[in-house]
Amino acid sequence: MALLQISEPGMSTAPHEHRLAAGIDLGTTNSLVATIRSGSAETLKDGQGNALLPSVVRYLENGETLVGLEARASELEDIHNTISSAKRLLGRGIQDIKTLGGKLPYNFVESQSSVPQIKTVAGNQTAIEVSSEILKALKQRAEDSLGGDLTGVVITVPAYFDDAQRQATKDAARLADLNVFRLLNEPTAAAVAYGLDQKDELKERIIAVYDLGGGTFDISILKLNKGVFEVMATGGDSALGGDDFDHAIAEWMLHTAVKEGFLSSDNDTFDHAITRQAMREARRVKEALSDNDAVKVSIADWSGSISRADFEGLVAPLVKKTLLACRRALRDADLSKEQVHDVVMVGGSTRMPVVREEVGKFFDKPPLVNIDPDKVVAIGAALQADVLAGNKPDEEMLLLDVIPLSLGLETYGGLVEKVIARNTTIPITRAQEFTTFKDNQTAMTVHILQGERETVEENRSLAKFALKGIPPMVAGAARIKVTFQVDADGLLNVLAEEETTGAKSSVEVKPSYGLTDNEIEGMIRDSMDNAQADMEARKLREQIVEADRTLEALDAAMTVDADSMLNQEEVKTLMLAREQLQQIKDSSEDADEVKAAIKNMEKVAEFYVARRMDDNVKTAMAGHSVDEFKK
Amino acid sequence: MLDFKQSYFTLFGLPEEFEIDFSKLGAAFRKLQAKYHPDRFVNGDEQERRLALQVTGFINEANETLKSSRLRARYLLTLNGVDFDDEIDTTHDGAFLMHQMEIREALEEVANAQDPLARIDDIGQEISGEADALKDDFVEKMEQGKLECAKDAVLKMKFFERLCQESKSLTEKLEDDLF
Repeated sequence: MALLQISEPGMSTAPHEHRLAAGIDLGTTNSLVATIRSGSAETLKDGQGNALLPSVVRYLENGETLVGLEARASELEDIHNTISSAKRLLGRGIQDIKTLGGKLPYNFVESQSSVPQIKTVAGNQTAIEVSSEILKALKQRAEDSLGGDLTGVVITVPAYFDDAQRQATKDAARLADLNVFRLLNEPTAAAVAYGLDQKDELKERIIAVYDLGGGTFDISILKLNKGVFEVMATGGDSALGGDDFDHAIAEWMLHTAVKEGFLSSDNDTFDHAITRQAMREARRVKEALSDNDAVKVSIADWSGSISRADFEGLVAPLVKKTLLACRRALRDADLSKEQVHDVVMVGGSTRMPVVREEVGKFFDKPPLVNIDPDKVVAIGAALQADVLAGNKPDEEMLLLDVIPLSLGLETYGGLVEKVIARNTTIPITRAQEFTTFKDNQTAMTVHILQGERETVEENRSLAKFALKGIPPMVAGAARIKVTFQVDADGLLNVLAEEETTGAKSSVEVKPSYGLTDNEIEGMIRDSMDNAQADMEARKLREQIVEADRTLEALDAAMTVDADSMLNQEEVKTLMLAREQLQQIKDSSEDADEVKAAIKNMEKVAEFYVARRMDDNVKTAMAGHSVDEFKK
Repeated sequence: MLDFKQSYFTLFGLPEEFEIDFSKLGAAFRKLQAKYHPDRFVNGDEQERRLALQVTGFINEANETLKSSRLRARYLLTLNGVDFDDEIDTTHDGAFLMHQMEIREALEEVANAQDPLARIDDIGQEISGEADALKDDFVEKMEQGKLECAKDAVLKMKFFERLCQESKSLTEKLEDDLF
């Protein structure tokens, strides 16, 4: 837009257009989107001012979806159609679901696809589709507030996510029509948010990222050297989080109430209503204890008081469990506590003073807490997205990652031979040679696994395929080269070829638990069908934003120099065109009509733009020689 | 672009020797990564992105190889025309294998010791001492041009690599029990 490109003398002109980019924290409990605006990172809020979008999707009978707060509010009344733990299911197979399934209230359907599907009133949904709904909502939020299309995003994933889980995350983004610059590890994003990569007074920095969320705990040890991040080790507990702290309080309340004779229990079990009430009270108490030394509590007819010291006693085993995981991660990284320079706190549960104190004691240094622990990951992702979009050409930041779990192949006897060991820096390509073990063997099964254990059953099966067309030879004569290629996002591609005869047959592998390209395309088609109306609305919204921008630019310019540059007649012409655009913008429901009105406005203002540009150049050049501008 | 045929040592500007300057390796590695990493090409075309992937894959493989003393030793042998598969090939030094078994038994006995942590620290020191001696042996044999003997030293290094891992995970287990 011409009007916008005029810069006042002394202000630098942007060398190229600023590309809109965003960072997305796709969380288990909540998700966020953040971006860089006028040089600083901020999370984007919804109309009600909430930055956190609950990662909950509710499917309605008419095929529509509700995402976020609205969906969460109705979780109890419509439990089968409201899906709230999609991230735990991402990249998981039918078998995993059977282990997790007991705890989940959803109806899983048996299907042809290897991807588990949840039955809802709006048809069967996979975790990928559910996640894509969350991503769509965040994309919408970003484009509404930024007034344009996103060129790309950085999406964060837990550092321990395996290939299938990363692939599933990328597939969800593809369904949401997002261009993913990069999947970024959550702890790395948190470290970037604190600008630890910008501090180079030390040659090498070791950073511990302690992430205690609602239902999960992760510890990651990062090494930072001149702007290059390496993940040294990761660890944690996928079933330990702030909710367990609530449980500890709730249990204490219930038992004290029983002991003092205010409540009866049947073999230490309580009915649902009272348990739920206790959990609610526990959450309130936990939060209140962050600011108070003691809090009054009541459940049923019992009431009492809990001090911060009581609370700390109750949750001590939980905190200790997290510190144990910290010790393990340090050992994996071959480091001692003293070598850690910074401790970054992530996740709402790190607001608890007891957690901060104990972590501080363990590492013998105060943890970093000044960025909101709920937002820190999204902010880091936004900073990285801005760099990758090319908005900071001089920026040296480069984030190197390692593969979180070893990759290997099944060999004789159900054993796994590792091809790429965990913590190897990615991208990496590595080949391994195998041979046939029977005379005239013409086919071979290639089974790819991920994990640290010795046997096939104890590792995660990523893919299995047959390599056919091996020329008949005596046992041991064929040379089959299997090549593993892991890209910068940690995604794997496998190729197998027979080398001796030059006859090559290669296969590209998709993870067993991923969706095939056909499936994804089918989903995209489906969502396109439903989205025709959406698209129209969206185009209109975009044009309205554009119109607003044009109007603002005109007003801003006229405030500055209308008096000196325009005569009365010209002002009148401009104001008339302005009025027209304003009116069409406010009333029209047709994107093309608004677009035409913008064009018209621009045409009318052309002479003014030209005049301002001339004036700008003159002012800018005053006092300089022409040669300076020839560069 | 980058020459995939050059040796890993040339790639990082290091002399072709077993003893290397790790800070130099690290600096050269980061410099190359900063130049070729796929993140530098997210807005590039398909071919540029694929090439970036291949080049950084090569750089990473080179770095992993030179960082590990055993892999570096093996790679030096490969450059000198001695290629072997250490998954299949193994040492035939009977006394060495006997000694390996002794260390292994000592590790199994650690849990019964009076002070298991002190005991495992002792064994760990012994293991790393012998592993260091093996490196010296390798360098010496290479200098003398006794490539087959140097190869045997590399094969033996693998045993020590496994022992180190085992003693490390044992230490971890002992400490976790005490914590």
